[in-house]
Amino acid sequence: MDIFHDNPMLAGVRQMLGAFARQQIRPIAAHHDREESMPWALMKMAQGFGMTQTAVVDGRKALTGKDEDEGDAKKPKSQARLGVAGSEELAYGCAGICLAIGGSGLAASPVARMGTEEQKQEFRRLLKGEDEHGHIKVAAMALSEPATGSDISGLATTARPDGDHFVIDGHKQWITNGASAAVYVVWANTDPSAGRAGVRGFLVARGTPGLVPGRKETKLGIRASETAQVHFEGCRVHKDMMLGIGQSSEGLGDTKKMLDSTRPMVGAQAVGIARAAFDYLVERVQGGTMHGTPLAHHQRVAFELAEMEMEIQAARALVHKAAWMADHHLDNVRMASIAKAYGAKVAQDVTSRALTLLGEEALEPGHPVEKWYRDAKIYDIFEGTGQIQRRIIARSIFGVNPT
Amino acid sequence: MDFALDDEQALIAQTVRRFVDKDVRAWAADADRAGAAPPRLTAVAGDLGFFLDAVPEAAGGLLDGPYSHLRRALRGVELGRGCAGMAALLETNVEPALAVGRWGSAAAQAALFASLAAGGLATTARDARGTLELSASADGLRISGKLGPLPALGVASHVLLLARADDEPVVALVDVAAGRREALVPSGWRAGAWGTLALEAAAVPAAMVLARGDAAAAASAEILTWYKTSLAARAAGVAVAAMAHARTYATERVQFGQPIGRFESLLRLRDDADTGAAAVRLMALHAGWLADRIKDGDGASRAAAHDAASRARVLAGDVVDRATVDAVQILGGYGFVNDYPVEKLMRDARAFAQLLGDERFDRILDLRAQEA
Ligand SMILES: Cc1cc2nc3c(=O)[nH]c(=O)nc-3n(C[C@H](O)[C@H](O)[C@H](O)COP(=O)(O)OP(=O)(O)OC[C@H]3O[C@@H](n4cnc5c(N)ncnc54)[C@H](O)[C@@H]3O)c2cc1C
Repeated sequence: MDIFHDNPMLAGVRQMLGAFARQQIRPIAAHHDREESMPWALMKMAQGFGMTQTAVVDGRKALTGKDEDEGDAKKPKSQARLGVAGSEELAYGCAGICLAIGGSGLAASPVARMGTEEQKQEFRRLLKGEDEHGHIKVAAMALSEPATGSDISGLATTARPDGDHFVIDGHKQWITNGASAAVYVVWANTDPSAGRAGVRGFLVARGTPGLVPGRKETKLGIRASETAQVHFEGCRVHKDMMLGIGQSSEGLGDTKKMLDSTRPMVGAQAVGIARAAFDYLVERVQGGTMHGTPLAHHQRVAFELAEMEMEIQAARALVHKAAWMADHHLDNVRMASIAKAYGAKVAQDVTSRALTLLGEEALEPGHPVEKWYRDAKIYDIFEGTGQIQRRIIARSIFGVNPT
Repeated sequence: MDFALDDEQALIAQTVRRFVDKDVRAWAADADRAGAAPPRLTAVAGDLGFFLDAVPEAAGGLLDGPYSHLRRALRGVELGRGCAGMAALLETNVEPALAVGRWGSAAAQAALFASLAAGGLATTARDARGTLELSASADGLRISGKLGPLPALGVASHVLLLARADDEPVVALVDVAAGRREALVPSGWRAGAWGTLALEAAAVPAAMVLARGDAAAAASAEILTWYKTSLAARAAGVAVAAMAHARTYATERVQFGQPIGRFESLLRLRDDADTGAAAVRLMALHAGWLADRIKDGDGASRAAAHDAASRARVLAGDVVDRATVDAVQILGGYGFVNDYPVEKLMRDARAFAQLLGDERFDRILDLRAQEA
């Protein structure tokens, strides 16, 4: 396995994005947390560095000028491992900003996986240039609904065929980039009588009549990433914009695959938060004393950090294993869930324990560890809650869904 | 042993519960957003006897006879169910008033009680890691360093300070005018009028030094017993509130064809939280009961009460953290946004384990010292 040291490309990504996180992200993180605003200027800068909103669709080509699949489709890729290495670094800077920079990837992932060449072109076209505010353009992936989060088989949004078009009606909830997106990938049921098999994804451009970006949420954490409702009211979309058109679709199964592919990256972000809190604490312990004795001389403190380090290393190894399996075309469903769920647990545990150790000083407004504690919680909720990951893991062991 | 409340205790719990259900809970979300308690809190809570319940009657307060920490713990649980930030304001005068009433000079009593009787607030600070610089002389103390962030310090007139000067424990009443105050609004207990106080060689006159040496060690243990008991009780209330919201939500929310509250994993989260909250409540009540039985000059009764309060606080920090995080979890995406009350409770949970410093660390150091 080539987790870090003997893979120059991974080491390079870590180094470059680690520096970006420290120099560019950290200094503005508290501001965007406080203001609950997207870091548009930084997002533009990141785009300039190759962190484009279409990176997932473009694959390696954007970075190296060459597509990995050229030649042999069975050859191991490195995209998933690059994704986890990069995600950890960006989230080390700020998870909210990491999601602002990378949130479009959620929408890009099904386009890359199921989109036709035309749809990929359309996706790229819609994300080109700047909007009326001078902001770069971002994408949103709209699956969840007010009454349907974990159990996506209950989707109520419909896409009714009407000539060359589908007419989409329904409400989407908690959509990342939901208020600002230039393009949405919306999941809707094209044939309610077919149940899960009827669920398909559609590319919908901002400005399409009937697409109504809704209220922006005020959140506990990842406040630099926008979350909003999106409404579809008789929204007509050409049938060519249905993902997987002309191919056999697994309906809802497609969305599950989409989530399997992003889970290791999400787990890696959680690792980034845990590492941020850990590094902060190490520095603080090195300089701190307890009634005159150095904090590092106390097992109460030093062993707690040793424990955190074990957990962080384990979580990182898991996300890299899940990504490595994806890159080697191995079924990583169980491993992706393990990596995501464990990363979330470690991020929450480490930040919570760090706050307790820091005591009153971490009650200061804008304290970074307190922010990381709030940010960490989302990793147990979105992209499949902690319970849903355990359900997937348990089902892979016993073959049934326990209740 | 009798676990039943007597009539007076039951009445107190019931009265505070009614106030919390009718007013505090209704104000909590707005107070959190605004970062300040509503102005009417002072009048409504004042009518119920808050703010002055630990100030002697003779000095314009309501205290006639011994103070009951058991009763305070009972009301603390109810207040925690309402809003931790407002609860902090309602409870903040107790330690300074009791300590100054007990150990303060006539001058200290006059200064503090006049301020509290006029509607002022006071707060308590502990130099948990020994980072303040204090020097003692016959004229009093000189203090440099920063106090806080602490609840009520953004508006308080006085701070009851527990620290060490020249390697000896000391308890003093610090006039906030001696330093530079900064009001702040942190992430949790946002209605709590937080602040810091920067002191630069600030002079505290001898009359404001309540105790030094062994007397200060004993007084500190007692003051911390009161404070930790109250914190634990309030934390139990926050945990109870979090899981009450989660239970209601979980009976209504359906996923995979059943109310999510029926999934065993979520029942387990709720049950663990309820078990923890019940344990913390009982431990806080027990600590309060022991605090009410501390006898002057009896180190053993004081140590037993402090130990009970400290244990209650350790568990309280863990339980309230877990319960609120798990309540957010049970609400899923709705738990993460502020239309629902649980994300506030998760932010509010943290101060219980962070105020006064790391309780586990203190316990370990105390045990090591005792068993050396
Ligand atoms: C900040 C943020 C950003 C988001 N971004 C997006 C986005 O871009 N696009 C998008 O489509 N969605 C997005 N989501 C939605 C997110 O994916 C859902 O919130 C998540 O899937 C959980 O669904 P829910 O909130 O409806 O919770 P529910 O499914 O209602 O779950 C509530 C609770 O029940 C538990 N539960 C559910 N089923 C079971 C079971 N079988 N066994 C045990 N426990 C169970 C859950 O674990 C949870 O604890 C986002 C959410 C947030 C908060």
